[in-house]
Parts: sequence; structure tokens; C-alpha cells
Amino acid sequence: MRFKLAGPAAAVVLLASSAAFAESGQITIWSWNVAASSLKATLEGFNKKYPDIKVTVEDLGNDQVYDKTLAACAAGGEGLPDIVSVENFEAEVFWNRFPECFADLSEVGYTPEIQALFPEFKRTELELNGVPYAVPWDSGPVAVFYRRDFYEKAGVDPASIKTWDDFIAAGKKVMAANPGTVMAQADFNGDSEWFRMISNEQSCGYFSTDGQSITINQPACVATLEKIKEMKDAGLITAAIWDEKIQSNTAGKAASQMYGAWFEGSIRSNSPNLAGKWGVFRMPSLTADGPRAANLGGSSLALSAASENKEAAWKFIEYALTTNEGQVTMLKAFGLVPSLLSAVQDPFVKEPQPYWGGQAVWSDILVTLPQIVPSRGTAFQSDADAIYQATQTKYFAGGYPNAKAALDDAAKQIATATGLPVTQ
Amino acid sequence: MLSRNRAAYAFLAPYLLIFVTFWLWPIINSLLISFQNTRVNPWRFSLSANWGRLFGDPAFYNALYNTLIILVIQVPVMIALATVMAVLLDSPLLKARPLYRFAFFAPVVVGEVAYAAVFRLMFSADFGIINKLITSVGLSPVSWFDNANAAMALVIIAITWRWAGYNAIILLAGLQSIPDDVYEAATLDRVSKFQQFLHITLPLLKPIISFCVVLSVIGTMQLFTEPFLITNRGGPGGGTETLGLLLYRQGFTSLNFGYASAIAYTIAGLAVAISLLNLMLGGEKK
Amino acid sequence: MKSKSRSLLVQKIALHMVLTPLAIVWLFPLWMMVVFSTMPDHGIFSPEIVLWPSAEFAANFRNLQADTNFIRAMSISITVAIIYTTLSVMLTSMAGWALARYRFAGRAIVVAIILGTITLPFAVVVIPQFIMVAREFRLANTWIALIVPPLFNSLGVLFMRQAFSMMPGELFDAARVEGVREWRIFLHIALPLARPTMAALAIILFLSSWNNYLWPLLINSRPNMMTAPVALGTLIGLTRVSWGGIMVGAVLLTAPVLVVFVFLQRHFIAGISAGAVK
Repeated sequence: MRFKLAGPAAAVVLLASSAAFAESGQITIWSWNVAASSLKATLEGFNKKYPDIKVTVEDLGNDQVYDKTLAACAAGGEGLPDIVSVENFEAEVFWNRFPECFADLSEVGYTPEIQALFPEFKRTELELNGVPYAVPWDSGPVAVFYRRDFYEKAGVDPASIKTWDDFIAAGKKVMAANPGTVMAQADFNGDSEWFRMISNEQSCGYFSTDGQSITINQPACVATLEKIKEMKDAGLITAAIWDEKIQSNTAGKAASQMYGAWFEGSIRSNSPNLAGKWGVFRMPSLTADGPRAANLGGSSLALSAASENKEAAWKFIEYALTTNEGQVTMLKAFGLVPSLLSAVQDPFVKEPQPYWGGQAVWSDILVTLPQIVPSRGTAFQSDADAIYQATQTKYFAGGYPNAKAALDDAAKQIATATGLPVTQ
Repeated sequence: MLSRNRAAYAFLAPYLLIFVTFWLWPIINSLLISFQNTRVNPWRFSLSANWGRLFGDPAFYNALYNTLIILVIQVPVMIALATVMAVLLDSPLLKARPLYRFAFFAPVVVGEVAYAAVFRLMFSADFGIINKLITSVGLSPVSWFDNANAAMALVIIAITWRWAGYNAIILLAGLQSIPDDVYEAATLDRVSKFQQFLHITLPLLKPIISFCVVLSVIGTMQLFTEPFLITNRGGPGGGTETLGLLLYRQGFTSLNFGYASAIAYTIAGLAVAISLLNLMLGGEKK
Repeated sequence: MKSKSRSLLVQKIALHMVLTPLAIVWLFPLWMMVVFSTMPDHGIFSPEIVLWPSAEFAANFRNLQADTNFIRAMSISITVAIIYTTLSVMLTSMAGWALARYRFAGRAIVVAIILGTITLPFAVVVIPQFIMVAREFRLANTWIALIVPPLFNSLGVLFMRQAFSMMPGELFDAARVEGVREWRIFLHIALPLARPTMAALAIILFLSSWNNYLWPLLINSRPNMMTAPVALGTLIGLTRVSWGGIMVGAVLLTAPVLVVFVFLQRHFIAGISAGAVK
């Protein structure tokens, strides 16, 4: 009798202790803006399951997380938190330069079955030589966010805006009907988001899909830059850095903004008193029947190799990213579009959203997902982006005869900086 | 005598230890790193990866150009302003002197981050007080962050505000060390105040002005925080990227330590060359 | 005689008419810092021109504390600045003493090095120093990394050397004749005499440590080791951040040093102008 009991009892004790070992501790995560806020939103559900794991999410801002992660890796992993947020288009910089800085996730529980829950194209940048370094988190299908009241006042129907020329025509009407507003804003100070969105829509980018050559001066990219300058010169898009865009939204100065879907959360949480006044439509194209889908942003979570609490950290990644519960919580709270295939099918997606005037924004945005052409960031992303931004500024100031000359020069500079060939 | 010498080394030792460990050794090490391609794993020796790239890199010339613009425009304006401040503060006719001194010297103690934040708000394109004031007198607002020239002007305004008082302090100390009897003779000869300034004060102040210029040159060569925080990492599109910022970007954003080291050595060379040039020009006219 | 006093009056008015607007322009950013720190965010980002403080300072402070643990960052900054200043005054005094009062082999070289490093921008050293401290010594995110590398301070040594060499040598020789040991001469005779110089130096060093941004930004990546300027700098450019809160942080960073400046102005000015007037 006693012996019979001993076995199972010991097993229970063992299980309990190992479970307690894995399911307690403190972990820290670095993230930014709404991404950080959305991780915080998952904590309630996570701590119901794992009450003894204390998660601290630190919002350092996008640039700082990138810089600090690189610096910490250069310092041999010293000072890294347990989990870092990594933007997909910059991800390859990390695995290429510092493979030893990040944990091989297949060793902590990222099985091929779990990997299969994500689309292939989201994973390619996150895995190197068969080692998965990060789990896909969200995508950034591009949408135009617009003020219903401003458009209505000008008699503009967003459904009629199919091309960028339509957008320009509509913009003139909207701005005439709503004095003191601008049609849209772009960060011409420290970002390249409009170029990256429209060129991606047109299947162009800094680098070819295989990452082996420079394609920034291909015709589709040239057409993109020309169109952006046309809109800027017409006064339709004015320059605003990230915090100025948010402030303009709140102050009612912007009639529309174009960004990845995650901007939904920024608008909703920063301008709660504008509920019902915002709507969403698909980004226009360069040509009448051209493609109207692109991606901007989208991130992943990676585990630091120096983490002393890998199991607890993995539990969090598993909950937040690989379960519908975690991913849909982030979608609901801050508009992060799940990479998890099953989460995109959640009933919530089809629901009309009260903030957005009853529009079912998520089904409208997510319908573009299958049409997005993946754009490849490479280990040289930050060099190429800095060169593009400098070229753009010079081009706007009249430093080049035309967009082709500007991007030819950018291509040449990127080639010098990276050693990659320019596609002819 | 010997024991006294031993004492001297003992007094120097801790200081020199820190110098060798945290300065000399890294500086030598960085020269070696500048000859390595640090974008491959592991690092490999390469002459062309950094030094070859540097002199053909438009980003380097852009940063050099921006730095020189600040050097050529901001430094003389600031030194002139500081001289005016110092001379006027030194005037015996001035009432409420402590108040004026406070106004001009206070920025000297304000941290870079604190004042960067204030300037960013004050110059915000849509909501900044400066643009509100500009539009209230009927002019059109300036987009301070998105026009390269305006952004450069903003950086220059900010640095001038922060550092003019600092130089004025040094110049004021110099003015006060000029003996009064030098002026007395001039006053008897009925030389105007302005003539006095031009022919007596300025020549006597020259070595001090020269010292201020050297300090400002060194400061400009490593200018980092203002364009980093106020104009958003040297924006727009590198319009305010200085050599110090390029170094940061190559070192900590592209994580290319080799290239960053090559840039660092170039900055050092330029700083030393410009300082020497200034000292030579200053010395010649003596 | 009358015309002379009139011309003096004209000069006086002209002087104040030039200086007053300049002083107002110069004080304006500091004034706006205070005004912003008391305004709610919707007030900062409104079309009106506001030049007078409101009453939201406490609320803004709570927002700041919610955005980043600013009290912790301030206490780290204060601790670092105090330890750094103490150590640095000690080290530079010792080195300055050695260079001022002893003739030993290698002295000329040491002086040349110190003079040489003055013209060396810190930016030049920052990359190699980072590699050394973070990679080789594995000291990232430590107090040592914050405090020790900046201890090498050329201006401080020159400043102290100058103070010591201006003291009468007979004083020390007399003590030596009586058999007083070298370190006692330094500690009990020379240092007390150098007190005003040390005070001026200490203020400058404290200020430089308090406001230091680039090095702490690079070397300490963990938020729980952030100094106050780094914590504040991190907030600039975030989305969901209270600008009123950032301004409260700017005020908290600035107010203590401004008070020090007002009360110890003489030492402060002596410290800054030391390099120029020999």
C-alpha cells in the first residue's frame, strides 16, 4: 500500500516542482509604442495561466530598441532583456552579425508544428541556416486612415479613390472644404515610409527579393518617388515626424494618414474623443487596375541567449504569439494584425468597429494580406535607408534633374556602402 | 631625491592607470580596428573596407559639409555675440548686473537633453510657439524639421543659445584681467568707446578669443546630442548629420566599428589641424 | 560737464536697450520649459499662444513617473555625479600635484599627453572605449562603467597643477626639512590651500557628470541603470508619452544645477574661465 502510493506521489511532486521551476520568475521585454502597449494588454490573460511569471514590458521607442539591442549584442549580450522585439525588415542584421546573441528557439519549444502555424514568408527573415531565432508577431498591411467628416464635407467618396491621381484630386477638394487641414502627412525628416509603402505595392524595393542586388532605381521605384514628389509639391502631403502626426490627428489637422494596420491602435488610443469620425480605405495604386496592397512594419519576438529564464520567457512568447487568445487580444486592444494564420479567422475580425463608425475595418484590411508581395530587408537595411532618405531630401530640394537621376545616385551609393551589384 | 620621485609616480599612478586602460589602449586598438572589415564574422583585415570607402562616401562628405557649415557660420556668430555680451556686461554703467549675468550664463548649466526637449517643442512645425509667433506677425510658418536649411538653422540657433554664455564667461574673465590704466590713457586722448574697443580691447582679448575658438572647434567636431535629439537623428535625410552623428550611426546603428573608427580618426585629425591652424594664425599677428 | 553726463545717460540707455531684449530672448527657452511643464498636453498642442504657467505640474510629474521611473533615474544620476566628482577631484589633484611640484623622468611626456588629449574630441574615443569596456571588460550596465572611464580629465589636472605651482615652494621645503612625509605634505598643507580651486573644479565636474548623455546612453542599456538625461532622452520621440511630463523632467534636471549656479556663481565662473586666463 505504501509502496504503491510512493510512485505516483513522487511523480506528482516531481512534476509540480519542475512546473514551478518553469512557470515562475521575472522576465523583461523591450518593445516600442503600441507594440509595447499591446504586449502589456496580453499580461492579464497570461498571468491567469501563469500567475508566478512576472513580465515587465519596457517601452524604449523603436530606434532605441534597435540601437540598444545591437550595442548589447556587441557587448557580448550583456544588458539584454529576456525578450527583444525585432522589426522584420531589420531582423537579418541581428542573426547575421550576432547569431550567438540569440537563443535557438527550437531548443526551448518552438516545434515544427508551431512553426507551421505561421505563413512561410513571415518566417524566412527570422530563420537562418535552419535555426529559428524569432517568432512572427504581426504584419503591417497598409491602409489609408481617413476622417469621414472631412471627406463628407468635401463630397469625396473614398470608394472612388482608386489611383494616386484620384487621391490628389480628392485631396484638393478635401483641403478646400476643410481649411487648415492637410490631406496626409509623411515623415520626410527621419523616415522613408511613403516610399517603402508605395514601392512595395508596385513590387519594388531597395533590394531584390533574394537580397543579392540593388533594385532601388528600377522603373517602379522611380515612378513611386515621382508620385510622392508630385503630392508633396501639390501641398497634399506635408512633412511631419512621428509625434507630430499623432498630434495632428488629435488636433484635427490631418484628413488622412497612410500607414501599416498597426496605426489603427495609435489613432484609437491617442484620439479617443474622435470615435466615429475615422474610417479606412485601401491604398490607391499608380495605375487604374494596379495592385493595391503593401506591407509596412511587422515584427517578431526573439529570446536573448543570455536570458536566465528562457523557459518562462518562452511561455510568454508561446502565449502571446502562438495562441489565438494572445494574438486577438493584441488585435483588439491596439490593432496589431496577427501573423498567426488561425487568429486571422477569428470572429472578431468580421465585427463592425464602433470607433471606426461601424466599419468592419479588419476584414477590409486583412483581405489584402494574400496580395502582399514580400519585401526583403537585408543586413544592409539601415545603410540603404539612410542613403535613400538623404537622396529624397536632396531630390525634393531640387538637387537632381529627375527621380531617375536621384535613384540612380542612391543605387550607386548603396553599392559603394554594401558591395552589392546594382540590377541593370 | 629618489624617494621624492617615487612619491611623484605614486601620485600620478591612479590617473595614468585610467588613462592607459580607458583611453590609450582603446585608441590604439581602434586604429587596428579601422583596418579591419567589421561587417563580417569574424573580423578580417582589409584596407579598402573602411579607409578605401571613407574618401568616396557621399555620407562622409555630407557630414563633413554640415560640420564645416556649423564651424563657419555658428562659431564666428557665437563668438561675436559672446564678445558683445562680455563687453556690455563689463560696462560700469550697467544696472541690475546679476540679472543679466543670470540670463546669459544660465543656459551653460542646462543639460543637452533638457534643452533639446524644450527646443523641439518650441520649434514644432504645427504647434510650436515660434511658428505661432511667426504667423502672428503675418509671415508663413517654417517647417523646422523637414527643410534641411531650416533644420540646420535650428541646430545653429540651439547651440548658440546654449554656448554663447559659456564663451562670454571666459571672455569676461579676460576683460577683467585687462588693467584699467590701459583705458585711462585712451580716455584722456578722447578716443571713442568703439575705437577703444577696436584698438585696445580686441587686440588684448585676442589670445582668449583664440582659446574660445579652439574650444568651439573641438565642440563642433564632436557635435552629437543636438542633431540627435532636436532634429531627429540628423534629419531631414541627413540634412543635419554631423561627423559626430555619422560616427554614432556607423558605430551603433550599422554596427560597423571598423568604419566608425576610421571616421573617428579623421575627426581627430581635422580637430587637431584646425586648432593648430587657428593657433598659427593667432600667433602670427602678435 | 553737463553734456558729458548727458552723453553718459544716452550710453546707459543704449546699453540697456541692447541688453534687455537679448536677455529676454535668452531667458525665453528656460521660461517656456517651466510653462510647458505646467500645461496639459492638449494645451501644449493647441493653436493658442500660451506664455503663462497653468497648474498641471503635479499631474505631469505623475505622467512622467508612469512613462519612466524618473525618481530612480535621478537618484542614479545624483549618486554617479557625487562619486564621480569626489574621485575625480582626488585623482586630478594628485596628478596635478605631481606635475606641479616634482621633477621626474617622463614628466614632459605626461604633460604633452595631457595637453594633447584636450584637443581630442570625446567622439573619437567613444567607439574604442565602448568596445573595451563592454566587450573586453564586460562592464556594461555597471556603476564602474558609468563612473570610471570619464575619470580621465585633462582640464582638471591642468587646473590643479596651476593652483599647486602658484603656491610658495618654501612652505613645502620647510615641511620636508622637518621630515614630514610627501603624502602628508600633500594632504595637510597643499590640499587645504587649494580648496577654492578644488571647489571650482568640483562644480564643473559635477555638472559635466550630471549632464553627460552620450556615454551613459551607450554603456548602460538596462532601463534600471539609466541616468536621468538618458531616461528623458528615451522619451523624446515616443508616441504615447506626455510632453508635459518630459518638460517636468527637464525642469527637474535643470533646477538643481541652476540653484547651484546662483549660489556658487563665483566658483562656477572661476572653473569655466580657468583655462583661458593664465
